[in-house]
Amino acid sequence: MAVCIAVIAKENYPLYIRSIPAENKLKFHYMVHTSLDVVEEKISTVGKALVDQRELYLGLLYPTEDYKVYGYVTNSKVKFVIVVDSSNTALRDNEIRSMFRKLHNSYTDVMCNPFYNPGDTIQSKSFDTMVSGMMLQAC
Amino acid sequence: MSRQASRASESKKMNSELFTLTYGALVTQLCKDYENDEEVNKQLDKMGYNIGVRLIEDFLARSSVGRCHDFRETADVIAKVAFKMYLGITPSVTNWSPAGDEFSLILESNPLVDFVELPDNHSGLVYSNLLCGVLRGALEMVQMAVDVKFAQDTLRGDNVTEIRMKFIKRIEENLPAGEE
Repeated sequence: MAVCIAVIAKENYPLYIRSIPAENKLKFHYMVHTSLDVVEEKISTVGKALVDQRELYLGLLYPTEDYKVYGYVTNSKVKFVIVVDSSNTALRDNEIRSMFRKLHNSYTDVMCNPFYNPGDTIQSKSFDTMVSGMMLQAC
Repeated sequence: MSRQASRASESKKMNSELFTLTYGALVTQLCKDYENDEEVNKQLDKMGYNIGVRLIEDFLARSSVGRCHDFRETADVIAKVAFKMYLGITPSVTNWSPAGDEFSLILESNPLVDFVELPDNHSGLVYSNLLCGVLRGALEMVQMAVDVKFAQDTLRGDNVTEIRMKFIKRIEENLPAGEE
C-alpha cells in the first residue's frame, strides 16, 4: 500500500528510506525532503499550545497529484514519513495510524539492538522485512 | 537491589529491557575492545565463569536443593530451578547421549538476545557465551567438570537456541579455583 517509507533523524538527515519503484528513487527523496518543511511547520504551530501532549501522528502532510504524504514525529523528534498512492482510496486514516505505530515499534527495537549505533543508517534485516511487509500488503 | 532483603525463594522483579540492554552494552564494548570475535567469546566465557563460581553459592542458599545423584538430576535442576530463578525461562532437556554424559538445553527464547541482530562482520561471535561460562563455573564449584558450548543459536538463524553440555569428570580434590 505504501510506496515509500522514510525515517528521518532529529537533525533531518535520512536514517532509512525505501521506495518501491526503484527507478523513481530520487523523486521520493525529494518528496520526503519537501515534507520535512511541512512537518516542521506542524510541530511548531501545535508545539506552542500543547508541548506535553502533542499527538505523535501528524496526519496528511500534503497531497500531490499521484501521492499522499503522511507524517509522524516521535517525542525524540525522529520523523517517519509514509507516501501512499492516492489512487488507493480505500486506505483509511486508522490504517495509516496503525502503520505508523508498527513502524515506531520496529524502530524502537532497532534502537535497542546493542550493535546499532544511534545516528547510523538503519540496516536491520527485521526492520527491512517489516517495511517490505507494509509496502506489499496491497500492492 | 537491596541486600538486606531475605534470600528466600521469592524472586525480585527486574525490568527485562534494562537487563537485556546492559548485557548488550557489555558485549558491544567487548567487541570494540578486542575486535576479534574469538577473543570476545573467550572473555565472555571467562566473565561467566567468574559469575558462576559466585552464583552457585547464592543458588544453593536460595533453592535449597540437595546433592544430585546423577547427571540427569543435575540437568533437571539446572533447567527447572536455576534457569527459572535467574532468567525466568525453563529450557527443555533433550538429546541425551547414550552414555548419559551429554545433553542439550533447548531455549525457546533467550532473554539476552531480545533486540539483537548480529551484524555481518561479527559472524564468529557467540553472543550469549556468558551463559556457558556461568554453567561451567557453577558446576565446577560442586565438583563437576563440564564442557559447555552453543550448538545452535537463534541469532545465527537457527530455530531454537541449544546449549550442549558434556560431563567430563568429577573433580575429586578441591583444587584452587582458576586464577582468572
